[in-house]
Amino acid sequence: MTHDTIVIGAGLAGLTAGLRLADEGQRVLVIAEGIGSTHLAPATIDVLGFYDGEVESPAEAFPRFADAHPAHPYARLSAELIAASIEWFKARFPVFGYRGGLDKNFLLPTALGTAKPSSVVPETMAQGDLSAGGRFVFVGLGLKDFYPAYLAENLGHVALAGSTVSARAAELAPPLGAEADVGSLGFARRFEQRAFREAVVRELASRVEPDERVGFPSVLGVRNVGEVWRELEARLERPVFEVATLPPSVTGIRLFEAMTAALRQAGGRIAIGSPVVGAETGNGRVEGVVAQAAARPTPYRARSFVLASGGVAAGGIHVDSYGKIREAVFDLALAGLPAANGRPPFLPTYLEEQPLDRVGVPVDDRLRPVGADGRPRYENLYAAGATLAGAVPWQEASGNGLSLATGYAAAAAILERAS
Amino acid sequence: MASLETEVLVIGGGSTGAGVVRDAAMRGLKTVLVERRDLADGTTGRYHGLLHSGGRYAVKDQEAARECVVENAILRRIASDCIEDTGGLFVCTPWDDAAFGDDFVEGCRATGVPVEEIAAAEARRREPRLHPEISRAFTVPDAALDPWKLVWSCARSAQEHGAQILLYHRVVELERNGQRVSGAVVHNELTGEEVQIHADVVVNAAGAWAPEIAQLAGCRVAVVPGKGIMIAMNHRLVHTVLNRCKLPADGDILVPIRTVCIIGTTDMRVVHPDELEVTQPEVDQMLDEGEKLVPGFRESRALRVWIGARPLFSPEEVAETREVSRSHALLDHRERDGVEGFVTITGGKTTTFRLMAEATVDAVCAQLGVERPCRTHEEPMPGSEGGHFYELGSRLRALEPVPESEQIICECELITRRRLEDAMARRRTANLDDLRRTLRLGMGPCQGGFCIYRATGILHAVEQLDHRAANAALLSFLQERWKGVHPILYGDQLRQARLDDWIFQGLLGVQHLPA
Amino acid sequence: MTELVRDSLDHCVKCTICETFCPYSQVTPLFPGPKYVGPQAERYRGSGASADASVDYCSGCGICTQVCPQGVKIAEINSQARAQLWEERGIPLRNQLIARPSVLGRLGTPIAPLANWALRNRPLRALADRLLGIHRDAPLPRFAGRTFQRWARGRPSSAAERSVVYFHACGTNYYEPGLGEMVVRVLEHNGFQVVVPPQDCCGLPLQSNGNFKAARAYVRRLVANLAPYARDGLPIVANSTSCGLMLKREAHEILGVEDEDLRAVSEATYDLCEFLLLLHERGELRTDFQPLPLTVPYHAPCQQRGHGIGKPALDLLTLIQDLQVIDLDVDCCGIAGTYGLKKEKYEISMAVGERLFTALRESGNDLAACDSETCRWQIEHGAGVHAVHPVELLHRAYGLGAAAAG
Repeated sequence: MTHDTIVIGAGLAGLTAGLRLADEGQRVLVIAEGIGSTHLAPATIDVLGFYDGEVESPAEAFPRFADAHPAHPYARLSAELIAASIEWFKARFPVFGYRGGLDKNFLLPTALGTAKPSSVVPETMAQGDLSAGGRFVFVGLGLKDFYPAYLAENLGHVALAGSTVSARAAELAPPLGAEADVGSLGFARRFEQRAFREAVVRELASRVEPDERVGFPSVLGVRNVGEVWRELEARLERPVFEVATLPPSVTGIRLFEAMTAALRQAGGRIAIGSPVVGAETGNGRVEGVVAQAAARPTPYRARSFVLASGGVAAGGIHVDSYGKIREAVFDLALAGLPAANGRPPFLPTYLEEQPLDRVGVPVDDRLRPVGADGRPRYENLYAAGATLAGAVPWQEASGNGLSLATGYAAAAAILERAS
Repeated sequence: MASLETEVLVIGGGSTGAGVVRDAAMRGLKTVLVERRDLADGTTGRYHGLLHSGGRYAVKDQEAARECVVENAILRRIASDCIEDTGGLFVCTPWDDAAFGDDFVEGCRATGVPVEEIAAAEARRREPRLHPEISRAFTVPDAALDPWKLVWSCARSAQEHGAQILLYHRVVELERNGQRVSGAVVHNELTGEEVQIHADVVVNAAGAWAPEIAQLAGCRVAVVPGKGIMIAMNHRLVHTVLNRCKLPADGDILVPIRTVCIIGTTDMRVVHPDELEVTQPEVDQMLDEGEKLVPGFRESRALRVWIGARPLFSPEEVAETREVSRSHALLDHRERDGVEGFVTITGGKTTTFRLMAEATVDAVCAQLGVERPCRTHEEPMPGSEGGHFYELGSRLRALEPVPESEQIICECELITRRRLEDAMARRRTANLDDLRRTLRLGMGPCQGGFCIYRATGILHAVEQLDHRAANAALLSFLQERWKGVHPILYGDQLRQARLDDWIFQGLLGVQHLPA
Repeated sequence: MTELVRDSLDHCVKCTICETFCPYSQVTPLFPGPKYVGPQAERYRGSGASADASVDYCSGCGICTQVCPQGVKIAEINSQARAQLWEERGIPLRNQLIARPSVLGRLGTPIAPLANWALRNRPLRALADRLLGIHRDAPLPRFAGRTFQRWARGRPSSAAERSVVYFHACGTNYYEPGLGEMVVRVLEHNGFQVVVPPQDCCGLPLQSNGNFKAARAYVRRLVANLAPYARDGLPIVANSTSCGLMLKREAHEILGVEDEDLRAVSEATYDLCEFLLLLHERGELRTDFQPLPLTVPYHAPCQQRGHGIGKPALDLLTLIQDLQVIDLDVDCCGIAGTYGLKKEKYEISMAVGERLFTALRESGNDLAACDSETCRWQIEHGAGVHAVHPVELLHRAYGLGAAAAG
């Protein structure tokens, strides 16, 4: 079976590329070793949160940023394209009620009580915006991944320009039944039950104060997106928002379900559990990829390929005990490599940029991986997401923004070439 | 300044110091122990946990071997809860001279180390990851000894017999009264207060730091710190202690201890036991040596690396520290330096800590002019009364099935919230690394990626910490952990570290906490 | 034990993704979850006695291994731990019985009407529930009263240019010989001579019940029969996706069988839909299908997904005009081979399958497609919808007959 495009990797970048192409009528296969970034990171689209301090407006910061970081993937993309990827995403998944854009970042509380700029935010999280200050109460449910008193205390000391935040905590003891060790997803499923919601509202309603916004850990249901949130807002008569918590990311799971359902509906195929281990190439083209299956490696052919295999965390970029660094599928040339031979010389202080942070696959303006000469290695191979070189998304707060924009851009480049 | 009166002041909370304070307390002496940081934070907490059968010394250092034989048997009786009876194997790899096996057996027989040769195939059947081409194998009663449990049991035993243990109390001065050492001034690192302790006898059990302490009394102790690195591998590649059958050298031991196995160690003479760094050549050396015992070692996941500084005592300066005897040295400064009321115990190894302590307290009694018999070899320590060895599966079994009322906070190391809160209440500490040492919090594969945020939140609540103190605890833990992982970041552990970066920096924003 | 599997625990970065997908830990606190019981607990398993019994509540569905982004062989670690546990405890009679479908098949076939009656007799089932621990409501199959082997042996072999070996497995042989006949006819229709060697159980139920020794014996005997054909370059097709996976991968990975025979057979084994789709990709599949104006929901069994070949049934069935196939994409039916037959696990099994049953009922169709026989029986039991192997639809569309399996 020959597909039009094969996408390697089922994180946000891979799913974005796959869905864009399937929507345009291509026969798409998304093939991945396992589930990716969606389940680990919150489903906010962080385009650019930190550059020289907090970024208030990505649109305003981009030109400076791109100039200062010519090797960053954002430097390969036009502001129009990044904006288009966001508009597409918001329109494609109206059920999430995503808000925001490149003009002004939201400022969201983290589970630790620090403030994080996020550009595009689902409606269930948007009311957590700290930019205009206000009064917040954070609700504890006995979830071991959420400590509202600690969060609130830190948050109360966050420096905001021109507004103040006051935050406190309210600990509830919702009926968990026989189990104390309920995780985020367990809570999310419980919130889908009427009786549980009733109990929470009953206990909380008398304890919220006027003009307070109510913050929950991100556990407000997983199916029927938004329903639990809307009901809580109605019953509590106050703005309600979710705060992103440790993996598994419930907001991300919702997004994954929506994106894969959309991909299937558009005729795309998804194969999870088939790691791509090699490729068949020739004449400057990728002819196919080879995936590990039971008993035999299985070849898949396509006209175009998108490598969205994730970076170091996902094993898309592998480092062995000798310090040899390799892109795991095509053995592509890498950029951002540390100068030394042997294992990368990590710096002794944790919170600084480390030698491996920006390593990845360098690409041209069409998101095609390039060699040392700056020319694409294969004319029909594209790359997107954390596989790309030049970014430190966990410090820049740019992870999902990069995945969305580069996944979208790779699909756009493929569509352009196909027409 | 606050002050304390005691008969015996013990400086140093490693195995030696803990052994001394227990022995002294059991002999009815009023005793105080001071330790500048946490118990077992020095050499004791940084070794590979081998309870020696004596086989390692059977050829080269027969006195040490005999001591090990005796103490191994004693510790199995009194500290059974701290010991996992893994057994040990000495194996001849293709890099070893098979003929040495005969010398080895002869040495064991001469020193009383129980030894038996088994077929190489049998050794490989017991340990499937063992190098396929080992030529000979010998069993010995090596075992795995948990150093923190050991030291904490000793300390608790000492407390039960009336001793006082003061942690985070650093000695800044030794008080002299003419030619006598009459006590010490210690600095409480947590509160900033100073305490004056008057003692009849001061025992310098500061291990690799003994020279610094002795210096405070104007005495010179020639201890050579022998730096050694050790690497913990993520899971037990073997369940038996593996030794290379050859003269002792670097990286020739692989010890399965609790959920990890540890390869060690190197040996480099350094000037001072603090401020040590792991170097890349040392790491490569350990990985290569591991590969000889267990093929595929380099593809296995390295979890954490650390440095221990062995206190090696020698009256002469020596360049190659491996030549220095591992037997202990008890220095009575009355004889050596004309200073009364001051003894130093140094050298040795954790396996013989009790023996060292016995010799020390004998000398203390002599100085005090009393005769009290030692009973430390008779009485089991707290937790070991039943005589049951530690079993690897015990934490798993205890949560089987997971009790409904429990939350598991550190999932890698199976630590429940209740256990964590109990430890917090006992230790009254705002330092997550203290809890790490006590419970192994954050010592599993994720190295705190998931549990440390949780533990900080719990600490904030239980200890009613101000947010700054909680933040400081979190950041301090992250930095400590980074020290232990960055020299071995590759493969799976690098993936984990990157995921943890996403969690701590991306999700939680620790780098944006107010400084 | 296969160290390859245990050592894969090193890849675990505790991301919890496996736990979000495990259908079993969601419905019962008795199973703490794949991460807990797999790579996490494995670090606590040594040469001593098993410390945990909760691993027995792992069904072996394998979804965890499929979704793990780091390549931890979670379900396989669990299988090995379970075997260790049962080796220490001693395997109860019930598990020994239900793990030997070919023995039961040989016993039940000559007395099929009586056996079938007994298996559906409420008082007898209540007795089996109490004495043996087989849940009184668990979906047990019907003996066909004849075997597929017999039909195959009694058939003249059609001369053809190419041959293919058919590994029909116990389910087809004793319970659904009609399905086996359809498989043969579809293959013959496409120009193959179908060779049916003597064959017995592949040992999968023994493996999943922790009896590795007996499982190895069975699989070695099976591959000894099949290997000569594999070495002659013949493909081996299997219509039972779980038994096919046993030959392709699990016998080596979980049981640690290192036989040359197994290696040859593994490389030559294809799932039936996989094989037919490959023929199609080479332009060798006959597509003379009549239209089938049906809407059929398709459930890909967990162990079909474990093959790592995508869902070839979907692509095959799109070749049939007017046939609408709905990919249900719901995780697990709950039966997990013999898991859902057990008294202490039946309720869990039904709770796991509830999503699938609901989706099927709500789809309003009276026919579903699924590649695994035990899953089909569970679907009929839980959703009340008749389920067929996808090849039956091909058989019908080829005009070879509409006979139902059995």
